[in-house]
Amino acid sequence: MDSSRDEEKRLIERAKRDPREFGALYDRHFQQIYRFVYSRVREQTAAEDVTSEVFIKALRAMPRYQDTGRPFAAWLYQIAVNAIADRYRTLRPTHALEDFHDLSVGGPAIEEEAAQRDEIRRIWRLVEELPLQQRTALVLKFQEDMKIEDIAVAMGKTPGAVKLLIHRGVSRLREEAEELRPAE
Amino acid sequence: MSDFRDPELDDLMQGDPELLRIARMLASSKSPQAPLDDAFRARLRRQLMDQAWDTVEGKRPWWSGFMAPQRVAWVGAAAVLVIAATVVYTVTQPVAPSTTTFLQISSPLADQQDVASVQAIPVKFNVPMDHPSTEAAVQVTPATAVAFSWSGDQLLYVTPKSGDLAPNTQYQVTIGPGAKAQNGTANSKPQTLTFVTASTPTPSPSASPTPSPSTPATTLTGERQLTTDYPTSDVNYPVAWSADSRTVYFVGPSPRGLESVSLSDGSKNTIVPDGVSIPTASPVFNRLAYVRNGEIEILDLATGRTAQIATSVAPTALAWVRQQLYWGSALGIFRAGVGEQTRVLTLPDPNDSVVSIAPDGNHALLANGQALAILDLSTQATSNVGQAGDSFVAWSPDGTRLVLQSGIYDSTGHQVSGIPPGDVSWSRSNEILIGSDTGIFEQAADGSGYTELEQGTFRSPAWAPDGSTFVFVRGSSLWVATAPSAGKPSSGHELALQVVSDFMQARLKGQDQRAASFLDAKGQAAYATGSPALIPQGSPGLRRWYRVMSEVNPVDQSVRVVVRLIFASGGVERSSTEETLTLVRAQATDPYLIDNATAGPQLQFGKGPQVIFVKLSPAKVAVLFDSDLLPTSVGSVTLQDDQGKPVAAKVDYSDRIVTLSNLQLVPGAHYRLVVLPGLQDVGNHNVAAEYDVDFVGPSASDPIAAQQVQFPGGPAGRPTSGPFRTPSASAPPA
Repeated sequence: MDSSRDEEKRLIERAKRDPREFGALYDRHFQQIYRFVYSRVREQTAAEDVTSEVFIKALRAMPRYQDTGRPFAAWLYQIAVNAIADRYRTLRPTHALEDFHDLSVGGPAIEEEAAQRDEIRRIWRLVEELPLQQRTALVLKFQEDMKIEDIAVAMGKTPGAVKLLIHRGVSRLREEAEELRPAE
Repeated sequence: MSDFRDPELDDLMQGDPELLRIARMLASSKSPQAPLDDAFRARLRRQLMDQAWDTVEGKRPWWSGFMAPQRVAWVGAAAVLVIAATVVYTVTQPVAPSTTTFLQISSPLADQQDVASVQAIPVKFNVPMDHPSTEAAVQVTPATAVAFSWSGDQLLYVTPKSGDLAPNTQYQVTIGPGAKAQNGTANSKPQTLTFVTASTPTPSPSASPTPSPSTPATTLTGERQLTTDYPTSDVNYPVAWSADSRTVYFVGPSPRGLESVSLSDGSKNTIVPDGVSIPTASPVFNRLAYVRNGEIEILDLATGRTAQIATSVAPTALAWVRQQLYWGSALGIFRAGVGEQTRVLTLPDPNDSVVSIAPDGNHALLANGQALAILDLSTQATSNVGQAGDSFVAWSPDGTRLVLQSGIYDSTGHQVSGIPPGDVSWSRSNEILIGSDTGIFEQAADGSGYTELEQGTFRSPAWAPDGSTFVFVRGSSLWVATAPSAGKPSSGHELALQVVSDFMQARLKGQDQRAASFLDAKGQAAYATGSPALIPQGSPGLRRWYRVMSEVNPVDQSVRVVVRLIFASGGVERSSTEETLTLVRAQATDPYLIDNATAGPQLQFGKGPQVIFVKLSPAKVAVLFDSDLLPTSVGSVTLQDDQGKPVAAKVDYSDRIVTLSNLQLVPGAHYRLVVLPGLQDVGNHNVAAEYDVDFVGPSASDPIAAQQVQFPGGPAGRPTSGPFRTPSASAPPA
């Protein structure tokens, strides 16, 4: 186990014993949870509301938190995923994806880069059309760079189910992309 | 696109290049920072901390008031007003000198459980602090006179003026609302650090009924093979030694002759050619009795002459009681006299068989099917002993203790203690060897000093008369080795304290069966009432314990130990109770067991000074408190005799220790230490309630008292010169 994980475990134990120690966990994870929430709701006030809900729920649930060996963040993501689902059960975000995703990939020549940027933009737009579970799994995997096991914790599913969601999601993207691709 | 490889992706996409391409494309688009209002981040943190603080304080959750439906409308309207007012205020106010909105403190000691007593308390702030207001806002519980030193503006060292912290004490260092940051921001909520100082030292010997061996030590010497001509069958009789510990007699393989081997030169002799069983050496090792062809033969080792005792039924057990031979057979138990034999008794049940006769001639072990029983040879009464399927291992040399596979028993069949599994040899100096296929272990008969001497195969060990040489069986060979000399035996007081330590550790771990193994019948009855509880349940839960006082009663050698049990919840120690344990043992080779336990009242922390440790000696009683005391109040620490009359004493106070001296305590007489509520700490808090500890006048020979056990961090434990040291935390600046 690395020292970062050791430190996290220590912080968790302290926060479980004394809720006033929760501040250190908040400081450690606020940024990534807020960013994830914002990426899903795409509106600052809504992101603040949902993020507040996530951390308040986490603080209240800390005494019952069980360390399963997965990162603490996976648990926060789980609360966030549920909070977002509750809030937007019937709504879909309407903001343009290119407003959020940083498409400044480096490396290829300018023309190639522009084409690639277009394709990524198109793919991410398609991601937003995917069913909620597939979309969430893809975002956690590719945007939040989480491991399958941690996504499983966040989504309350088995790792096998998460793999299936991602595979189906990416397969669906390939099919959709083929349909949208202009004829050569 | 970056050319990274993620094994999970390869696995997920099952090698499909197009799926992999899309997946990598998704992964390559980085998420930029979302637009974030720092004020929101700080506000949410403060909201969380307020909620956390309210939870700790036991107040209603902050959101609970909002849950009442009839209040929602009012709350909504109020919130709008507050937000509007906040916006107006914020816009119209000049910019504050600092944007910091919430004071935070931290310390490497925070939440630690074993903090060294000689220690300054470092307190780190997240913002530069105003020194005077911060120092004025520092509160230390228990009340402690402290000095301050700063390293810069964000690190404060709080140093006890006495030079150290009290042992076994939960400290809470609070930075109150008066503390100000240098930008003028005032601390809005008290900030508290909590830690617990290290325990008082405890004696080292182990007297656990089921001990764990100390670190393996290869301390055997002279280990060598004596003979390869040793039977491998499961009918091996114990070897017999010569008086000088230089010759071993044993029954060899078929035709089972009586053999001897010299430790001096390795020479071997066949003493009796065949048919020998149960060789048994006399107590002074000058004669050897054995059974041959159904009759008893007695060999004089000095002359080589043999005498026969005719028996009509083959003996199953032989024993020397002083210089007289006893034997048992299906007809009863017999004793050999000069030219005659006497039947001591017939067996109570025709199905009984004699397994062994005790070396004191008072008892015999009988087997009847799977059951074992101890037979009293004088009363002919029997007592069941051991467990079903148990088997005989050895007698103690004095015959008062019987070792079975399941443990050590007294002559009434009562189990005195457990014993680790293995073959046992009990020496005349009450050192026990325990041999097995994995190693050889040594312990005192009372269970203390359990040590692994060597790893390997060491079956059937047998002490020589010299008490250091022993032989053992490894495969079909007989080996010899010398055990290290046993260390200085532990005193009864030390052994009793170790039993208490093991008992309390078992309770801490919730091991009720192990904890109960340290209790005798009366001790079990004391805990059967539930007050005190053997395994305390509920919240706050038992977190730790420490010893407040211990003493040996010079009259009956029982040991009384006062232990304090500390209960905590939410990471903070809330209360304590005391138990007075009385430990006894029937004889010096037995382990101590807890014979009685009484519980004292529950004490709340933070309610005035508390006694941490009491040290007794015939001329002096010293009492260590957790708080710095007002010297003018220490007259409230008094001593009474068994009539309740004050005992004259000179009372001194220094660094949390009140000393009553010029005493002439009578060994064995009863006294009571009384701490009256008039005692005050430097924070002007009185003792919450009168505190009493009963004790008997100690003996000057008690080694614990004789060692002049120091209070941890007490005067003798402190540096007598040089700068104040901080051995385990960062040092304050010079």
